[in-house]
Amino acid sequence: MALRELSSLEKFLGLKKPNKYSTQGGKKVPVLQNNNGPALIGLVTIASHLVREAKRPELLGDRAERRAVVQQWLEHRVTRLDNCSKEEVKVILKDLNQYLEDKVYLAGNVFTLADILMYYGIHHIVMELAVQEKERYLNITRWFDHIQHYPGVRHHLPPVAVLRNRVYPSGHH
Amino acid sequence: MTKENVQGAGEEEQQAQSKKALKKQQKEAEKAAKKAEKQAKLAAEQQEAEEDDFAKDRYGVCPMVQSQQKLDRALVRVQDLTPEKAEQQIWVRARIHTSRAKGKQCFLVLRHQQFTVQALLAVGDRASKQMVKFAANLTKESIIDVEAVVKKVEQKIESCSQQDVELHVERIFVISQSEARLPLQLEDAVRPEGEGDEEGRATVNQDTRLDNRVIDLRTTTSQAIFRLQSGVCQLFRDTLINKGFVEIQTPKIISAASEGGANVFTVSYFKTSAYLAQSPQLYKQMCICADFDKVFCVGPVFRAEDSNTHRHLTEFVGLDIEMAFNYHYHEVIDSITDTMVQIFKGLRDRFQTEIQTVNKQYPSEPFKFLEPTLRLEYKEAVAMLRAAGVEMGDEEDLSTPNEKLLGRIVKEKYDTDFYVLDKYPLAVRPFYTMPDPSNPKYSNSYDMFMRGEEILSGAQRVHDAQLLTERAMHHAIDLEKIKAYIDSFRYGAPPHAGGGIGLERVTMLYLGLHNVRQTSMFPRDPKRLTP
Repeated sequence: MALRELSSLEKFLGLKKPNKYSTQGGKKVPVLQNNNGPALIGLVTIASHLVREAKRPELLGDRAERRAVVQQWLEHRVTRLDNCSKEEVKVILKDLNQYLEDKVYLAGNVFTLADILMYYGIHHIVMELAVQEKERYLNITRWFDHIQHYPGVRHHLPPVAVLRNRVYPSGHH
Repeated sequence: MTKENVQGAGEEEQQAQSKKALKKQQKEAEKAAKKAEKQAKLAAEQQEAEEDDFAKDRYGVCPMVQSQQKLDRALVRVQDLTPEKAEQQIWVRARIHTSRAKGKQCFLVLRHQQFTVQALLAVGDRASKQMVKFAANLTKESIIDVEAVVKKVEQKIESCSQQDVELHVERIFVISQSEARLPLQLEDAVRPEGEGDEEGRATVNQDTRLDNRVIDLRTTTSQAIFRLQSGVCQLFRDTLINKGFVEIQTPKIISAASEGGANVFTVSYFKTSAYLAQSPQLYKQMCICADFDKVFCVGPVFRAEDSNTHRHLTEFVGLDIEMAFNYHYHEVIDSITDTMVQIFKGLRDRFQTEIQTVNKQYPSEPFKFLEPTLRLEYKEAVAMLRAAGVEMGDEEDLSTPNEKLLGRIVKEKYDTDFYVLDKYPLAVRPFYTMPDPSNPKYSNSYDMFMRGEEILSGAQRVHDAQLLTERAMHHAIDLEKIKAYIDSFRYGAPPHAGGGIGLERVTMLYLGLHNVRQTSMFPRDPKRLTP
């Protein structure tokens, strides 16, 4: 899973020659054998490395605070979102929905690596949501639909259908 | 020595005991005497009081009404108690909804059907202390006759349906006394869901309601629901009769299941067995073959499906229509949808009070419909669902969640709670369904939906014996068992179509309720056979 994600990320970043990855341990943590240094371990570490290699540092945040926010969401992705239980999913969706209420992207007004990796990570959850739930987490759905249509991001993932109109009366949740 | 000692001790003990016993006896005697004295005093007081009671002819328990006299007394209905009747002396028969005594006054709320009025009984020259006490001790739900003067009130009485007047009681007689303990409280049974939680008050769950249905049916909500349901039947009949339909009665005990044997009730019938009709399908079609042209039928329908859902009953009232048409079955769809629209309009115009009463307990949006009724094709519906992310095959039947979702999407797009879905895949319909001439995978069949739930299933029927035989064989149906049915079409049969509606479902969905048991007076489901 993580490996397909990294190869999609490579394509998005426009990296010409694809890297070869291996995995480590029971949780299949991705490993990148680096030619001019020690091996890079972990999704976020490798993804950040790829961003730098593609000379797109702005994807990690252009200012100190934004860099911190991006790092926070990248960490959220691997620590909370991955392998979370069903009960946790509800809490995560609720919190994320609230957070996105006044934001276009996770880091505010600019697209960052956090959006890409959160999109990849949350895709299987949003895919399973019923129409009514998608409407309940309206802000997530809006952000998700925006990211899945962001040029070059989607790659290996199937598109998720999103209704543009509210079909359930508000207050009936 | 030892023996003596023991004896002495025993004597002493005995003496002590007898002393104790004596004292005890004395005390008891004193107590009894006091009690007797008290009782005598009380009785004397009571007697005195009774003798004193100047109003003793103005209240009491009536002897059982056995039709021994014809009283020339007009009883005014509670709903007619309006300011126009102010200062009039009238008689009312009603139930005691609540009673509350407060010193020399007693407030009663009298109820008749879904209407309530406040009555006041105060010690004065018309009522004695004893009379007020009598009124205050009446049990809830007792039926009483009251003579009273109608008085206008300065401040509206918010808790009653008759808010502008109250009754000043002059006489009060019990016609039927209720037992003191009720299995459920009416106020609890009409409390909107959720509201009770906030105030820490009880609501009554559905099984308790249904177990004590007679009392539950007295609530304002139930009264309104079943008055409206009666309206559905009446509007259905009136509309169809105006369109030239004939009402027919069909047998409910039948010799063979109409659509396969799995979901019918078997009854023993002398030396053989019979079935309870799961729809009047065959009979209404036979009536068409017998030149009745347009027929309808209101009667019980039985389904032996072991499904315990919010919308399934094992016995319900079916409103069935069958109609011969000229060239296209849409003539029939138009006729049925127009009938439904007439019903919706009639309910909206004539039953506003009932709708609002039900809405107080079960809030819902007003029912919306279009004229002419929206008709979608099955293919369009599948496309709409796919656009919403539902994965389904072209010829797959609609699942219940998908039906509901489609209802929401249609409501959003067209702002209607009522629509027709036309041209179902042939594979998901019964054998007597006419195939679509332009695409044999589809059929001339349709469902109608209210608030996203199916209320009617219908189709153009095959009226050609040859094709009917073919379709029956395709469905692997034993031709012997349906011989009489197929033979009906051999001697000239007009093209025809029809459909059947469930009365309980229509009422439920029109009012936006969530369980079909709420709109069935004495519901029957796999787990309930009483009351």
